[in-house]
Amino acid sequence: MVSTHIKKFDTLVVGGGIAGLQTALDLGDQGYKVAIVEKDASIGGKMIRLSKVFPTLDCASCITTPKMSAAAHHKNIPLFTYCNLTSLDHDTSNEALGVKAVIIQNPRYVDPDKCIGCRQCEYVCPIYVSDEEQGGLSATKAISIPFSNAIPQLPIMDIENCMLCGQCEKVCPTNAIDYFQKPEEFIIQAKTAIITTGFELLPKEDNFQYGSGKIPNVVDSLQMERLLAPHGPYNRVLRPSDGMEPDSIAYVQCAGSRDKSMGVPYCSRVCCMYAIKQAMLLSGSLPLADITIYYMDIRAFGKGYEQFYQNAKAMGIEFIKGKVARIDAGENGSAIVRYENQDGSGIVTANHDLVVLSMGMIPGWNPAPICPVSKDSDHFITSIKPKISPVLTNMNDFFVAGAAAGPKDIVDTVTESGSAAMEAAKFMSNSIMEN
Amino acid sequence: MENNDKDKGADKAKEAKKAAMKELRVQRKTLIAAASKIMKEQKKDIKAIKNFLNGQTATIPEIAEGAELPKDKTLWYMATLKKYGQIVEGPKEGVFFKYFLSEADKSQEKAEV
Repeated sequence: MVSTHIKKFDTLVVGGGIAGLQTALDLGDQGYKVAIVEKDASIGGKMIRLSKVFPTLDCASCITTPKMSAAAHHKNIPLFTYCNLTSLDHDTSNEALGVKAVIIQNPRYVDPDKCIGCRQCEYVCPIYVSDEEQGGLSATKAISIPFSNAIPQLPIMDIENCMLCGQCEKVCPTNAIDYFQKPEEFIIQAKTAIITTGFELLPKEDNFQYGSGKIPNVVDSLQMERLLAPHGPYNRVLRPSDGMEPDSIAYVQCAGSRDKSMGVPYCSRVCCMYAIKQAMLLSGSLPLADITIYYMDIRAFGKGYEQFYQNAKAMGIEFIKGKVARIDAGENGSAIVRYENQDGSGIVTANHDLVVLSMGMIPGWNPAPICPVSKDSDHFITSIKPKISPVLTNMNDFFVAGAAAGPKDIVDTVTESGSAAMEAAKFMSNSIMEN
Repeated sequence: MENNDKDKGADKAKEAKKAAMKELRVQRKTLIAAASKIMKEQKKDIKAIKNFLNGQTATIPEIAEGAELPKDKTLWYMATLKKYGQIVEGPKEGVFFKYFLSEADKSQEKAEV
């Protein structure tokens, strides 16, 4: 693969989640040409996969989809989805465009210029594969559009699970199926780069005390987001082991965060609030269910958050102060939670139909060895001026926004994205003046 | 004359595509074999579910027992078949929902018979 294709922009935004979209829109609206490079097949990041957002309980999709659409239709913002970044660094040979990224466009095995997103290929495909967009709780097809409001509306063929039966090719009305597509390398040159690579949840498989992901009906918080979402795997909250409507649901806070043994000594900041949000949504969809949150401290730091917490208590959600020591499989699909209650009642065990682990947040992208930008001891990207300009990194034309710099909520992420766009714009206008 | 040349060109392209597909099948032989095995198993499982549901509604544990499948796998299939319009969720019975075959799926099966 030889890179012959060079694309030039003012700014390269790495990551197409809410931070990347907001940053790109803020720059694009000022007339800057901005490229968004996204590893997933769709833009939208984690936020488009959420049910609702705290503390307003607005529909996450209703906020994210217009941003996705605005970016996708913006004349200054081309999207490069389903791409891998193989290098991102200063380009010393080019003074005007000091940032150079080498990118691989992964093959979709579908011609994006011909595909009309009709999903006929998906409907006829005979193979079901686990749908990771739904937390693995249901299946999709070996060729499918990732989710209903994905942008772009292009299917991906999973060649690991493809029999080459040809049914998708036969049914495609525009002859868009291309079994022979290869990865394509291209280069982006830009004046600035903004890293908005977000976060991942610590895998529940890493948590030995909580069953290493093997106990039925112990799910992580993003799986619960899908269970609560209107287009979730079951369109309602059911136990994954047998389809039972749960009557007793528990949240285990700090499942990974603030835990040196898990390699995550920091607080992930959003778990308290999203657990409270999910508990409130659950008490709406399952009014008779008992909902318990096991916590160490409740950190309700943002505007309206404390009131949100108090509302949850008033709704009857039970808050138990105590760190859960272990979870074991119980009878009939239940999970047994063992904890030390801080009210002095000692070691207690409780049975729940469904347990949600509020797993810690870890960086969504490790820059090394692709990009020399500095990382902190927590592995998130270093903000060199965390108090007065948290979007500055140790590289003068590289900026960071959102959870790529550390765990934060959507409100702070969007604010920081605007700040990163402003710093990048300032850098570019200063460069013009200097020249 | 011109039409004949066009036809010949199309035939050649078809032959070339056929040969390329053959080569691709050889390259992906192991993957194709694994995927075919999965497909056959899934087809068998779905057939068992649909046979059990033919003319009746049932909960996940009942379907799992009837189709001789694990309950979690049954729910995985049912959620998926519901998404693709082959299964419909019915009323609740106790703590479980009941499911039945969709009309579209029934008429498709009749057509296949």
